Parts: sequence; C-alpha cells; structure tokens
Amino acid sequence: MSTISTHLRKIREPNKDEQLRQSFALTPAPDPVDVDSQKYKIEVNATLSLPQESEEEAYAGRLYLLPPYLAFHSLDRKSTRFTLPLCTIRRVERLNTRTGIFALSLSNWHGMKIIVQITSLRPTADLFCAHLRDALKLELQRGQMKAMKSFVKTCYSETLIPDNTPAGTEDSELVQTEDVAYLCGLGVKFKFPGDPKKLREASKLKLWATYFRTHGRNLTLLRYPQSTRLVQVGLPNRLRGEVWETLSGSLYLRFSNPGLYERILKENEGKVSTSTEEIEKDLNRSLPEYPAYQTEEGINGLRRVLTAYSFKNPELGYCQAMNILVAAILIYMSEEQAFWLLEVLCDRLLPGYYSPSMHGTLLDQRVFESLVKKCLPIIHDHFHEVDVQLSVASLPWFLSLFINSMPLIFAFRIVDCFFCMGPKVLFQVGLAILKINGEALLEIQDDGAFIHLMRDYFGSLGDSAHPNSSDPRTRAITRFQELLLVAFREFSVITEETIATERKQFRGDIIHGIESFSKRASVRNLKDLGNFTKDQAGLIYDILYKAICVVPPPASLQGGSGSPNSGQGQVAERPETRIGLATFKIFLSEIATWARDEKIVSNGFQERVDREVADHELIDRIFFFWDSSRCGALSFQDLVTGLNGVMFNDLMANIEWFFTLHDKDKDGFLTKDELLILSESMLFIFRYEVGDAYLGAVSRFMTNAFEYGDAIHETERLKTSGEAESEKPQELGNNQPYLNLATFRMVVLADEILESFFETDLTASFQLQSIPDGPLATPKSGFFGGLLSTIVTDDNVKRFHKFSDDLGKTIGQHQVVHRPSIGRIDRPIALQEPKAREPLLSSTSPRPSVSSASSSTVLATPSNSTPSLSISPPVPEKDVSPPEITPLYHAAAAAVMERTPFAIDDPQDDDDDDDDDETGEGDTHNPDDKVMDEVLYDCRRTRCG
Amino acid sequence: MADGAQQDKSVQVKLVLLGEAAVGKSSLVLRFVSNDFQANKEPTIGAAFLTQKCRLEDRTLRYEIWDTAGQERFHSLAPMYYRNAQAAVVVYDVTKAASLEKAKSWVKELQRQANPNIVIALAGNKLDLVQSSSPPTPTSPSFEDDEADDATATPGETPDSPEGSTNETLRQVPTDEAQAYATEASLLFFETSAKTGEGVVELFTEIAKKIPIDHILASTQGAAGRSGAAGADGQGNRQQGINLDAAASKGKDACNC
Repeated sequence: MSTISTHLRKIREPNKDEQLRQSFALTPAPDPVDVDSQKYKIEVNATLSLPQESEEEAYAGRLYLLPPYLAFHSLDRKSTRFTLPLCTIRRVERLNTRTGIFALSLSNWHGMKIIVQITSLRPTADLFCAHLRDALKLELQRGQMKAMKSFVKTCYSETLIPDNTPAGTEDSELVQTEDVAYLCGLGVKFKFPGDPKKLREASKLKLWATYFRTHGRNLTLLRYPQSTRLVQVGLPNRLRGEVWETLSGSLYLRFSNPGLYERILKENEGKVSTSTEEIEKDLNRSLPEYPAYQTEEGINGLRRVLTAYSFKNPELGYCQAMNILVAAILIYMSEEQAFWLLEVLCDRLLPGYYSPSMHGTLLDQRVFESLVKKCLPIIHDHFHEVDVQLSVASLPWFLSLFINSMPLIFAFRIVDCFFCMGPKVLFQVGLAILKINGEALLEIQDDGAFIHLMRDYFGSLGDSAHPNSSDPRTRAITRFQELLLVAFREFSVITEETIATERKQFRGDIIHGIESFSKRASVRNLKDLGNFTKDQAGLIYDILYKAICVVPPPASLQGGSGSPNSGQGQVAERPETRIGLATFKIFLSEIATWARDEKIVSNGFQERVDREVADHELIDRIFFFWDSSRCGALSFQDLVTGLNGVMFNDLMANIEWFFTLHDKDKDGFLTKDELLILSESMLFIFRYEVGDAYLGAVSRFMTNAFEYGDAIHETERLKTSGEAESEKPQELGNNQPYLNLATFRMVVLADEILESFFETDLTASFQLQSIPDGPLATPKSGFFGGLLSTIVTDDNVKRFHKFSDDLGKTIGQHQVVHRPSIGRIDRPIALQEPKAREPLLSSTSPRPSVSSASSSTVLATPSNSTPSLSISPPVPEKDVSPPEITPLYHAAAAAVMERTPFAIDDPQDDDDDDDDDETGEGDTHNPDDKVMDEVLYDCRRTRCG
Repeated sequence: MADGAQQDKSVQVKLVLLGEAAVGKSSLVLRFVSNDFQANKEPTIGAAFLTQKCRLEDRTLRYEIWDTAGQERFHSLAPMYYRNAQAAVVVYDVTKAASLEKAKSWVKELQRQANPNIVIALAGNKLDLVQSSSPPTPTSPSFEDDEADDATATPGETPDSPEGSTNETLRQVPTDEAQAYATEASLLFFETSAKTGEGVVELFTEIAKKIPIDHILASTQGAAGRSGAAGADGQGNRQQGINLDAAASKGKDACNC
C-alpha cells in the first residue's frame, strides 16, 4: 500500500496580494461572488481619525478598497487596523474643510463616524471615491445591507450594548428580528473554566463595552492599540467567542456564507468516510473532563463541527488535535461559529498543520528550532549536545495551541493573543517558556527529563513568579503573567515577517524530507519487490511520482482520505494511490524507449531531444495486463510486479510474455485478430528503427504465423473430423482460438531479428534511469534561485525552442530525426546511410543469412494471391528503400486477411517455393505439425547451444 | 553483592509504542504505569511520555515510554520518537485485521530504520473483547509473584463486558497467525488486554529480559565520559552520578503501589 501525494509540490509562498488580504484577516483569494467587484480595487494613503478623539489620535497609514471590504492599516502595520465590510457603511460624506484637504467621513451601522483623510494625489483620491461609490452601490444591490442587520443580532456585543439603532430607521423590522438570540457556546450552560470572580469577568466586560461604543463592534470593529491591551489581559468569557471570530476574520466568512454550515451537514447526512470514523474514535476523548463533553449535547456538537469540516475540506479531512481545538472553542461559541473559526485556523492561521502530511507542523517546528538557535543559543547548543529534540515537547504546543499542555484558563489566554496578534504568538510564547526555564533546561540530559520539566512548569503557571518578594504586588504576579511578559517584551523581535522568512527558508527541506520519507515507506511496504533492488524500486517510484505530477490520477480512483464515499464507506485508513491510463502512459514513456516519441532536433544552434508520450493500443494493453485487481487502475505494487514480469526475462520468457499480453482471454491461443494486433504492436515498437529490416521481419512473421496456424488447424480438423471431409475446407472465424504459444515461439525463432528482439532488445527497451528532480521541483531559495525559476519556466523553454527552430529553418539548418527505440544501429551511421543493415544482421545472427527473395516481394505475396508462398527467407535488403510503415502495414494486413479460405493452402504446395531454406523451415511444411514443431525447436536449440 | 548496589542499578530503557489509531497503545501504557484503565483517553498528540520501573531478579529497569499518536498522518513524526529506542511495542487490535497489517509495516520500518539492536514486541490488544469470561491466565508465574505488588499486578477480575456477546466471533486475527508472523520476524509476541490487565506485565517483563542491559550500561557509561566500559556490571554502583539522582527522585512518581 502506498499513497503518493504530490500536493506539496503545489505549495508556494503567498504573493503580495494574498499577504495583504491575510493581514486584514481575509481569505487569500476573494470570494467567487466578489470577483466582478475586484475591478474597483484601489489603495490610497490616508490618515484615520475619530471625531471624538484628539488630533494626536490620528494614524497615518494606507487605505485599501478590497471589495466588498474597506480596510486600513497604520504605517507600522500593527497599532491600528480595520476591515470594514462595505455593507456596514451607511453614509459617506466629503468634509468641507480647509482647501487642499480631502477628507471623507464614514458613518457606519453602529452609528459611529470615522474620518479618513486621503493624502494621495488628488486624481487618485477622486478615483478612490468613485470606486468606493460604485462598490457601495453594488453591495446595496446584492442586499448585503439587509443581511447585515439580522446578522449582527447573532453577536453578543449587540446585547451588551443595547439601543444601538441609528436614528429610528426600520424599527418594525428590528422588532421582528429581536428574538434572534445571540450565539453562544457550551460555557453558558456548562460553566466556563475558571473562577469568574478571580478572572474579573465583570470589569473586563465593562471595559470592552466602553471600547465597543467608541470603536465599533463585531463587523465594524476598529482595532486600536487599546484593543490589543484588552485582549492581552484576557477576554471575558461571554465575549470571547465573538472577539475570536472578529479578530481571526472568521466572522466575515460566517457573514458571507449564511447557512452553509447547516447545508453541508444536511447534504452529507448519514455519509461515512475515513474521517468520520476517525472522528468517531476521538469524540469521547476531547476535553473529557469538561462537563459538557460528558453529555450527548456536547458530543453531538463536536461531532457535527468536525464532520462538517471534513466534508468541506475532504483533502484535509480530520487530524487528531482538531478535536481538542474544536472542543475548546465550542465552550465559547456556537457550532456555526466554531466551524468557520476552524476553517480559518486550518486554512490561514495554521497552514498545513493538519494536512495529511502535516507539512505545516513539521515546517514550523523547524522554524521554531531555528529561532531557538538564534535567540537562545546556549539552550540550543545544550540540547544539541545531549541529543534532545525540541519537538518532542514543542510539537503539541503548536498543534493544539497549548490547550492540552497548559491548564485551560491559561491556554485560552494564549489563544486570545494568538487570534489578536497572529501565529507569531506561538513562537514568542514557546521561546519565552524556554527562556524562563533556561537554567533548569541546561541541567537536563534526555528527552524524558525535558518533558517532565515542561509538565511541571505548566502545572505551576498559576503560582507566584516571585514568591519570596517582600512586595505583595510583585508576589501577586503569576508565572503565567511573567510568561506573557517575557513573550511579548523580550521576543517582540519575532514578527510575522520573521516567521515568513524562516518558513521560506526551510520549506524546501521539509517537503523534500516528507517526500523521501514517503518514498522509503512506499518501497518498504511493497509486498513483492520481484527481482528489483530497493534502489531500483526507488527509481520506479520516482518515475511514478513524476508521472503523477504531470497527470494526477482522477479523483475517482482515490479511495479518498475523507472524500465522501456514498453508501458504505471504505475503511482503509490510507487509500492506496492508483493511476489511470493517462498517467500510466507518461509513466511507461519514462521507462520504455518505444513508449515515447523522441525527436532529435538540431537547428544549427542547439541539438535537443524533444520527448513526447506515445499513444498506442499496446500501451493500453500493458496497462490492463498489469491491472491485477481488475479495477482499471494500477498501484505502485502493480507497476513493480508488471515491470518485474518483463525486465528480467530471457528469450523464452519474453516470448511468452508478449504472447500472453496479446492473448486477451488467456486461453493459451491467439485468435487471428489477436495475431494481427500482436504484429501491429511489434510494428509500433519498431516504428522508428532505421531501415526496413524490422518491417520485413514482422511481415515474415505474419506470413509464417498464418501459414503455421492454418497448417495446425488443418491437421486438427483432419484428426477430429476424419479424412473424409478434408476436401471441404472449414471456415475459421477471426476471433476463434488459432495460434498457441508453441507455434508462436516457433515462428518467432524462425527469424533472427525477432529472436534478437525477444532475447535482449525487448528487455533492454525498459530502462530505469534516475530522473532529475521533478518538473515542479521545490523553488530554490535566494534571490537568484527565485529569479531563475521565474525565467526558466516550461513555457519559456518551449518558446525558446520554437524561436531557435524558426531561426534554424531560415538558415536551413533545421533537422528533425526520430530516435529509434531499439537503436541497434548507431544513430550517426543510420543518418548517413539509412540502408546499412549488415551490421545489424551480422551482429545478432550467428548463422549466415540466406536470401532468395526481397522483403518487398514477401509483402506483395498475399495480394498476388499466391497462397502457396509461405515462408519468406531471411531478408536481403540491398535494393529496398525504407517503406512507410503504416500504410504498408495495413496493406499487408488486409492482404493477409483476404487469404481466406486458408485451407486451400495445401501443405504439399509449399515445397515448390522454399526450396533452399536451410534452417529447417522446410520441415515445417510437413503436414505433420507435431514433428515439425519438434524438429524446428531442436534445430534452434542446437544452433543456439 | 549488597542489596543497595542492586537497587541503584537502575537502567534506563527507552521504549516506544507504535500501532494504528485506537488500538489501545495509551491504555496499555496506562495499565502498565498506573494499573488503571480509562474508557476515554484523550488521543495522543505527537507523543506522551511516561516512566515506570520494572524489577528483574537482580536489577531494576526504568522504562521511559514514548506513547505515540496512532493516526496515519502522524506517521512521519514517529522517527523522532523511535530513534535511540532500545525497545518497541507494536500494538494491533485482535478484532481488526487491518491493524495487524499496519503493525507489520511498523515492524518493517523499525527493523530498517531504528536502532539495530532494538527489541520489538508484538502485542495483540483488546483480548477481553474476544474472551467470553475466562479469567486471565498469567503465562509467566515465576515473575508474577515478584512483580505483582510492585507496579503492574494483574487486577482482580473485572468481567464487565456489558454486551455479554463478547466472544471469539469478534476476533479477526487468529492467535496462530500473529504468532507465526512474530516468530518469522523474530518478535516477542503477546496477546493483551489493557482493560483486564491480562498479558500486560508479561509483555513488559519479557521485553526487560531481552534487553541487552550490560550493553546499555556500557554505552551510557561511555557517554558519561567514563573509561571503564569493560566490567559494566561490577561498576554499576559507582557510575553516572547525575542519572542516579534523577532516577532516585523520579522513583516516587513512577512507583504507584
């Protein structure tokens, strides 16, 4: 079983646009419904101020119109920020102030005014206004303004600050929606963790209420420095869910996708997938000590959120640790809120953490280690010295946001900061933990001691950080407060940019590591290596991987980790990767020389090999031949077994392989049709061979095969039906058993070229070569690497080739030659002297070739309707020009088929024609085919021996 | 040899548990370490770390147990935990045939990637589900007496199978089959039940017997900068100052009589 995933290759660093959107807590790409409105996108320099605040409170920054949002950040990018949905803006006024100043006053739904003074040049400012007006109109048309009114009712802040209605509009409607209660989490019913008094719940709520009045709330929240301070002291329990939503931006998702959560649940009701089974296993194991998770209510909510997400994002599905996160956030928010917050977590805040390869987790662990090395070198060196891995402790911190490492009340405060200030918080806190425990850490000698130390420390977070201090106020500082202080003071140097830079630096390594890990695992898990070494199997894997990169297998072939399986779900934990025919063609073209068309192009400037994937029924045939489980798709194991079946064969085994390949019903006989197809396959393989030696061989083969086939059939008939009816020939359908392996073998061995082909060339045409790093190789780091990878794209290479070809054509240097698949004849020789075939014959044939008729006559024979001519002697080629393969082949094939009834090929007539055949073929015309068979075979063997 | 010397001769053994999700890895450890069973254990994120002492005739082993996450996607993290491990328990669920396949692939991986001298044991867990109500039968009574009160005594009978229908029909992995595989791959083999405790002590005791302790002693000594790697046994009592302290202080929480 091996699962091969190429999705890591598609990962790239977010571009500027995406980074910008992310900094405003928006999805990297605009919603599909908003694509049209993106034409209004514009940004200007602006200064933000609130009318009730003094002049000093104005922030210079940049204002962005990102329909359907208006967003602003101050110049330092952190002190002030807002992301306002356009539908919350009720009124925009141009302020009549001093000349030369262009200021807009925006009043929003919560009756609050903000003033933005646009400091860009006048034309830009005018354009901005025009765009803003159009974008606002569009939002109005979409009815978002109305949707917003009922939406904000779901937020607790509306209840916290009643009477927010802007001057008496649409009162009736509001009364109607009054009963839409705000959304809340399990904590309201099952209590929030921690003592509300100790947490000073009431006074925190008051502070927030004040802030909300002046700076907006939920959809209209402005993020001023004060809000960050309020978050850092810990959010009040009742408000926590909503503020998480707002800060993380999941609020915008919930707003723009109303009802989606319920819809996903409904559409997938009763469906079972790998993910749902994994979820089921963990439901009772998610914060089991919290009372709600000992009830059906809590468990069901948890199940619904996790399941809905696994259906929304089947590629990710479900990862352990998500259950803990969701269980935690459900204490503070409703299922729908939790669902969208989970989306933001998996998608944006913790990218790749929970993906099947967990590349994000591994990457951030590496980043964390690197930061420890930079910030706490002594600890890093000590760990290195005693061979302790940081990740053994830090991995769960990141993966479950400290929720199962620290007591819940502290973990939630870190989560507060995480949503407010971003993923850098995890690194800052992690570093602070190590720094605070620095001395003790230098004492540890092994992983175990490290874990113990951390566990003890987390257990003591509620204790005083300075128990021996005489000052009661100092004594009151808990170790947790100390932790936050260290994290945000001493490690404020760790910014989002730091993290981004570090991630960029290590991403390639991590991806490479994961890929080679899964390669090793796949090779190791092969049930049967055949005659291949592990390294060779590794090469096959590489080639398969490359093929999958080019043509990913269709989704229907993937058992689909988490993909919804209708009806009874497939239980395999790791679905096996199977490739379809399209991918297989690419795969085979990398291995078999004849499964690709290689053109050697020289145009005076360069000589290159253009490689294209060939398409022929033979390849389809091999695909189905190797499909051991008859499911229309091949696994890695199938490919290894299949290749093993041909790459280590000797002459006889190859003949048998080729025979069986074309014996569709596996009854040990080829029908006439199959025989023709077989010949066609051979011609396909030989299509680029120089000269017509191979063509001749195949046509001789056909003639012989039909000759023998008829002979055998004749005797069979005679034997079974008695001599009496011998004069009445019996028709044999084209799809009835006709030629058996023994005869086939005999016919093949009658020809040196074919013999040589089956003895060595067929096997040799399968070549395992290590391929250079895939076409989508991980981007090189560094400026030049990046520059290079942007210039050297596939398209550009093609364009360059085309250009040089055109140039070559104009100067008459353009030349295209097909590279032969077998290539027994050296290319240069072949090019100069296309008719030189002697080396081929003499090198492969130990016996002297005797000729009496040219191959062209052989080909012509059937159409001449001289049925008596059967065996063509080995080829003399001197006077034959290289024929066009396909038309000629068809002519020959048609002619052969026309030869019915075959029975008139009276065996006795044969003697007349091939008088001088010395290799024993003459014997074959003896009606007694059994003897003939023996003789020929013996003859061969003695010759070979 | 004095008693004191024997007591001090605590050898640290790193043991890692591997196996498919929800086969009962954590429960096995919990049974071994705390002689306890919880129906709902939080899934392991990354890995959990526990310690337990295990006394053989003349010496004490201190198991450092890394209990890893079972979900497939955590697989790539496993090498972090099994590197340098001296022992591994690969767990499967006797009622799930697929879990044995996964176990086999773990064994393969360990044999190729882990410490070459690693002692691997195969444990078929959830034996209680396939037994009607027969009492657990200790397989190595000679050690049972010694160990029973120390840490991992087989608990009193707790035949609390509510369904009552638990019997051999649930079994998907025949004992013979697993045994044959274990023999072929030269693994220790036990069928266990974390719920009833059956086979758990035996499992860890047999591993302890198979660990090349002298070898470990020698190597840790070497690491500690001592030269006397030769007669590791004899010098056991005056070696590794730090480790001894650590072991002694940790003894308290590890022992759970």
